[in-house]
Amino acid sequence: MGEGHAIVLGIPDLAVAALLVAVPGLISFALSLGLEKRLLWASVRTVAQLMLIGFVLGWVFGLEAAAAVVGLGLIMTWVAGRAAVERSSRFFKGIHHRAYASLVVSAFVTTAMVTAVIVGVDPWYEARYVIPILGMVLGNSLTGLSLCVDTLLEAFSERRREVEMELALGATKWEAARPALREAVRRGMIPIINSMMVVGLVSLPGMMTGQIIEGADPMNAVRYQIVVMFMIAASTSIACILMTLLVYRRLFNARHQLLSHLIKKRLN
Amino acid sequence: MKSQSSLLSIQGLAVSAGGRQLLTGVDLEIARKERVALFGPSGCGKTTLLRAVAGLVDADAGTVAFGGQSPEALGWPAFRRRVTYVEQRAMMLDATVEENLRRPFGYRGREKTYPADEALNLFKALLLNGGTPRKQARNLSEGEAQRLSLIRALLTEPCVLLLDEPTAALDEKSAGAVGELLVRWTDEHGAAALVVSHDRERARLWSTREFDLTPHLAQGAGNAEASHG
Repeated sequence: MGEGHAIVLGIPDLAVAALLVAVPGLISFALSLGLEKRLLWASVRTVAQLMLIGFVLGWVFGLEAAAAVVGLGLIMTWVAGRAAVERSSRFFKGIHHRAYASLVVSAFVTTAMVTAVIVGVDPWYEARYVIPILGMVLGNSLTGLSLCVDTLLEAFSERRREVEMELALGATKWEAARPALREAVRRGMIPIINSMMVVGLVSLPGMMTGQIIEGADPMNAVRYQIVVMFMIAASTSIACILMTLLVYRRLFNARHQLLSHLIKKRLN
Repeated sequence: MKSQSSLLSIQGLAVSAGGRQLLTGVDLEIARKERVALFGPSGCGKTTLLRAVAGLVDADAGTVAFGGQSPEALGWPAFRRRVTYVEQRAMMLDATVEENLRRPFGYRGREKTYPADEALNLFKALLLNGGTPRKQARNLSEGEAQRLSLIRALLTEPCVLLLDEPTAALDEKSAGAVGELLVRWTDEHGAAALVVSHDRERARLWSTREFDLTPHLAQGAGNAEASHG
């Protein structure tokens, strides 16, 4: 990997960068889009969250302890699970745990596969590798997962009558639910498949860009990126499948009934 | 002895909707070739009662059985293959009519294959065009869809039909055809039907018996429109 050729950024550089955010702010103001406040809040959050994670990472890297790395990973996953569910316009009680469980399994398994088996990190919990890779897996899985959840809950509330018609004709709950489950997994996987289609042509992914700026050999950066894309695809699909199964188990009971009344619509 | 000959047995059934008690203590035994017309004030819970018999919602109390066997013993999907509920507002999948009709034959536990000839006979009996199978089901008129949802159920040869106002969306002529088919089909197949109706005049043409839910109204039920009618 690179030997730290990157130019170090200071506070004045960030101040100049903040001018960039002023552009959408002015546009919002001129066109009365009413986004100024949200944009300001989003910018403040970006700075605060990234500064915070910068400190935390520095601290965890210094600890060189497996427990700290796994602990940080679990917290990141919890936040990702919450975000995935809260983007959806519907929810039910207990959906957070299910999103969390799906992400813990899918993200941890794929991250471990990459860091331990493919990259061969030693020790296995080396934070410099594990945390950024886990972050990438989570960030991308959560996009797919939130689409998946949204599709699933919409199907089981808006298309309740379709499901019940099949149940009434003697379908098992699995047979009646299957079209919705398949559609939800499919929708969840579309973003990653779309980005696999255009990667390198339209977008240069953040990790690859970072490595190249650091002075890494482009071919090595590309090989890392290939691993990352496959890893995200695996993790997203595993997360979506686990989540649909967990939601299915909650929304159908032993009497082969659809419990659509458990699904609530989020206000606003 | 009674339960021996009865096909569908409903005992002490009580149902509610939206937290409101609708019906209590409904007892009903239905034998082969019986067609029971179910009456009651609007909003009294007729639809909820049929849905509870089919097990799509839980009853508050009471039991149902098919041929003396509980749905739990048979398994709910197997029970519903024998005791089949057809909704008033026909629900068609977004596919062709024929795909809709074939759908139940793809479920596990159905040995039979799709009886295409029988489907054509039923189309004729219900005054539907022979070209209907190729149409997109979502483009059908309400009346066509309602007759097709009845045909979809009949093709699977259930033993008891639970029909919710099966002629609500139909004109005089088609409604008459549904009544005639119901009589002929249940007699030929030794099947039974429990049919929610509001038209006593017409029901006399096909029913063998009437069942009035008025004595079973829970306090405060009736008149107020429940969401499921």
